Amino acid sequence: MTNDLATVEFLPGDFELKGAETTKLDMNFASQRFWKDAYLRFRKNKGAVFSLITILLIILLAVFGPIVSHYTYQQQNIKETNMAPRVPGLEALGIFNGDETLKTSTGSKLKNAYIVNKETGEKSDTYYWFGSDALGRDLWTRTWTGTRVSLYIAFVAVLIDMLIGMSYGLISGYFGGRVDSVLQRFAEIINSIPTLVIVTLLMLVLKPGLMTITLALMLTGWIGMSRIARAQMLKLKEQEFVLASHTLGASNIRVIFSEILPNIISQLITNTMFSIPSAIFTEAFLSFVGLGIPEPMCSLGSLISYAFKNFTTHPYQIVPPVIVLALLMLCFNMLADGLRDAFDPKMKEM
Amino acid sequence: MRRYIGKRLIISVGTLFVVILLLFTLLQFMPGSPFNDEKLTKEQRATIYEKYGLDQPIIVQFYQYVLHMAQGDFGVSYTISKNTPISQLLQSRLPISLRIGGQAVLLGALIGLILGIIAAIWHGTIWDTISTIISVIGVSVPSYVFALALAYVFGYQLSWFPLLYSADLPFKSSVLPSIALCMFTIASIARFTRSEMLEVLSSDYILLAESKGVYGPKLILRHVLRNALIPIVTVLAPLIVGLMTGSLVVEKIFSIPGIGSLLVTAIQSNDYNVIIALSFIYSAMYIGIMLVVDILYGVIDPRIRLSKEGPHD
Repeated sequence: MTNDLATVEFLPGDFELKGAETTKLDMNFASQRFWKDAYLRFRKNKGAVFSLITILLIILLAVFGPIVSHYTYQQQNIKETNMAPRVPGLEALGIFNGDETLKTSTGSKLKNAYIVNKETGEKSDTYYWFGSDALGRDLWTRTWTGTRVSLYIAFVAVLIDMLIGMSYGLISGYFGGRVDSVLQRFAEIINSIPTLVIVTLLMLVLKPGLMTITLALMLTGWIGMSRIARAQMLKLKEQEFVLASHTLGASNIRVIFSEILPNIISQLITNTMFSIPSAIFTEAFLSFVGLGIPEPMCSLGSLISYAFKNFTTHPYQIVPPVIVLALLMLCFNMLADGLRDAFDPKMKEM
Repeated sequence: MRRYIGKRLIISVGTLFVVILLLFTLLQFMPGSPFNDEKLTKEQRATIYEKYGLDQPIIVQFYQYVLHMAQGDFGVSYTISKNTPISQLLQSRLPISLRIGGQAVLLGALIGLILGIIAAIWHGTIWDTISTIISVIGVSVPSYVFALALAYVFGYQLSWFPLLYSADLPFKSSVLPSIALCMFTIASIARFTRSEMLEVLSSDYILLAESKGVYGPKLILRHVLRNALIPIVTVLAPLIVGLMTGSLVVEKIFSIPGIGSLLVTAIQSNDYNVIIALSFIYSAMYIGIMLVVDILYGVIDPRIRLSKEGPHD
């Protein structure tokens, strides 16, 4: 057998690399496949895709909603307070035509605040798409201006998770030992003080407003993320590829951020998405109890709080901010669920 | 075990100490003093300072402060109800909040468990979907939206329950707030029970039990549920946080004279002493419950205790 082989001489020309024109050596092949798989799985999840579209729609409305109306969020018209919703086009169908039923002690009565001439029933030329509030401000403009605040908070939450939480957890897990001990004790203490108390105390020292809320989120929002990042780091840091990287002389920063991070980024993204709804909720909650955005600026929470005062007489005022807030929270939650299932199909059964 | 409890106890006490230190520091930096009246002479001021112990070194003041806090003496209210001791304010309000919170937890845990069990047993059917939808909505819709909807439908339109809290009908007026508060509890417990039960159902020991001839309710109650419920202790901490923040809003909506609405009023009227007292109480409750949860979990599941004693925390 060995003799046979020795007589045969192989030349480079005898071989042809199969598919040599189309296949290129790809260093990132595995990770690309992963993202593509995740994308395909995500696309199949109807709830998640629907949520994504709804969120995009809400973002568009928040950007363009206040621009297309003729009002600004702080403009008051004292003559046109508590107007029911009236939308051009739809009013011909008998809905959103400015009619509202008022419950009084003598029974309910139909009223239309847009009518200027009582005998002919002629209506004025004003339209409030979502109605106007007790100070005569346009609710359409205010609702979408308030949505901008919630979206800003969502953005802040992502930034805090990604910058503070992730780095804190990765560093704590990677270095271990005394560094880990100190960092974890610190996080534990911060975590043991209820967020409510931290925010309340901040309000004593600072003025209520968007900056204070941002600061409050910064103080407390990163802990959940840092735990996940640390746990993932502990899982990965003993693996061979990390050792290989060390052997080749990579610095700590490089090992953490360009060797380990790409392997755990999907879990971190999922967790970030889950922290968005809770951040939005925190802001809406603070504004609702009167610790948030001061007037005349508004957020969804402060709009709900304001409309709550007369929601038995003018229920239409509370509906738009409540629906937008509930939709935002629901969609971000469902999107996060969808992302988790897409990145890690095993989790779906959990 | 003793070492584990000791360690947790030290951390809890340390955290509570940090909270008090924080509150004390804030008090020092608070603008204004009750005694900066210009008419007071130097001697008069010195007498007042001596009376209130303000001439003592700061360390002694802090020691006195901790001592008072520990004895439940939080000083007097400045603006909400002038010169009333805060402990007196709390005496009437704390039971109301605790009652509504307790009802919400019980109701939420019960419904959540049932939903979770149904979803896990009939996994993949329409019941599973319904229960999942309920729990997604419960997690994502804020409790005050539920509170508003309930208040509008059952309080205002149908008038089944009082729209606002009345002291004459303590139970009837606590129904709607408890339901509004428990939605989050229902949702998280249902989600958790479902996933834990599914995990247990697919385990080897359930296969063994089934092959020995255990089936039906006995299998679910004695073999599945008992094991699935152990980790449910871990959901308690987030639930308590949810109840605390939730109670603030729900108490405001239904005008309940509890500690949540007291905190909101105190913040709005800058009543420092009340804010600080309530911050302390909220922190103490939270830290205490976390401690109990951690110890309970260590008792139930030795693996947690062992891993927490290890070098990597």
